[in-house]
Amino acid sequence: MIAAPIEQVPSFVVAQIGSRRIALQSAGIAELILTPHLHTFPHTTSLIVGVVLRRGRVLPVLDIGLGLLGIPSTAVKFYLVIERHFANIADRYAIPVDGECQLVTGIMFPPADPDGFAIGSLDLAGDVIEVIDLEKIVTHGLNAKPECVGTAEALP
Amino acid sequence: MPNSAPLPNNNRATEQVVVFSVGEYTFAISAAAVQEIRNTDSLGGMVMELECVIVPKVRHVIERESRSYYVVSGFDHFHLPASRPTTILILAKAPAAILVDRIEEMAEMRAIVTLPRSFHGKERAWYRGLTILEGKVVPVVDPKGFLTADELQSLRQIASDQTATREPVHSGGELP
Repeated sequence: MIAAPIEQVPSFVVAQIGSRRIALQSAGIAELILTPHLHTFPHTTSLIVGVVLRRGRVLPVLDIGLGLLGIPSTAVKFYLVIERHFANIADRYAIPVDGECQLVTGIMFPPADPDGFAIGSLDLAGDVIEVIDLEKIVTHGLNAKPECVGTAEALP
Repeated sequence: MPNSAPLPNNNRATEQVVVFSVGEYTFAISAAAVQEIRNTDSLGGMVMELECVIVPKVRHVIERESRSYYVVSGFDHFHLPASRPTTILILAKAPAAILVDRIEEMAEMRAIVTLPRSFHGKERAWYRGLTILEGKVVPVVDPKGFLTADELQSLRQIASDQTATREPVHSGGELP
């Protein structure tokens, strides 16, 4: 007997960013870590609030609350470590999240606003949550007009 | 290979660094890149105030042993709030002297990692990379990053014009 192939149901990580609950595709998420010490130094790249040390690596911390809501994250409890690729070179960064995260599976529906940061939405027992294109926020945020000084006043 | 490569943990030669602070931040610079460390009130040589400020972070030039060192304000360079510099680092291989708040220590740097690629602002010119000193991530400044070639050219022109017409503000003294 040949088993029928199991259809892959996409999975998502639901996280709290400031006042907003969002979902991220789980594929690029490497790990979830408790807030390590945030190291800061002067720089001019918007969105970056500092760096953390993780397994001997220096990871930049990108506050997507700034890109998504326009305000810095305040009650950071965890960092999601994200892996992105530039021309086949893997690069990792961390994003602060304000509450506990959930791993969920579900069908993604098309976004209400195709020009926004959402690439779709999930219906979790009647609770509609936007699935965010993290790469779009990060690229948009990193390319924003540089401000001075990367301090982390809002983060713990 | 991941960009944020693990920090090397081996027996490679270490590099001596001068650890200094500007405002609330700590920086390191290779000791080999520093010719001299002086208090701002006991500078050897002649300090000249630039009449025409074309690079806002540079307002003075020190003339010593036939060489000019453009005095770069550390807090202006790093876009920090104004602080109270008490110390000046005279660089060895660049015509610059850096005003810093204070020297923290001399230390041995065991490893340096490149700045993660997400950083893409002026810091890419400011820093050689990052190191870890006593558990703290510290940027290692690039001595060549304090003044660009264009800034240097403009400063040389201004200083040259000024020297031809005026005497130095004071000699062997302190920075105002």
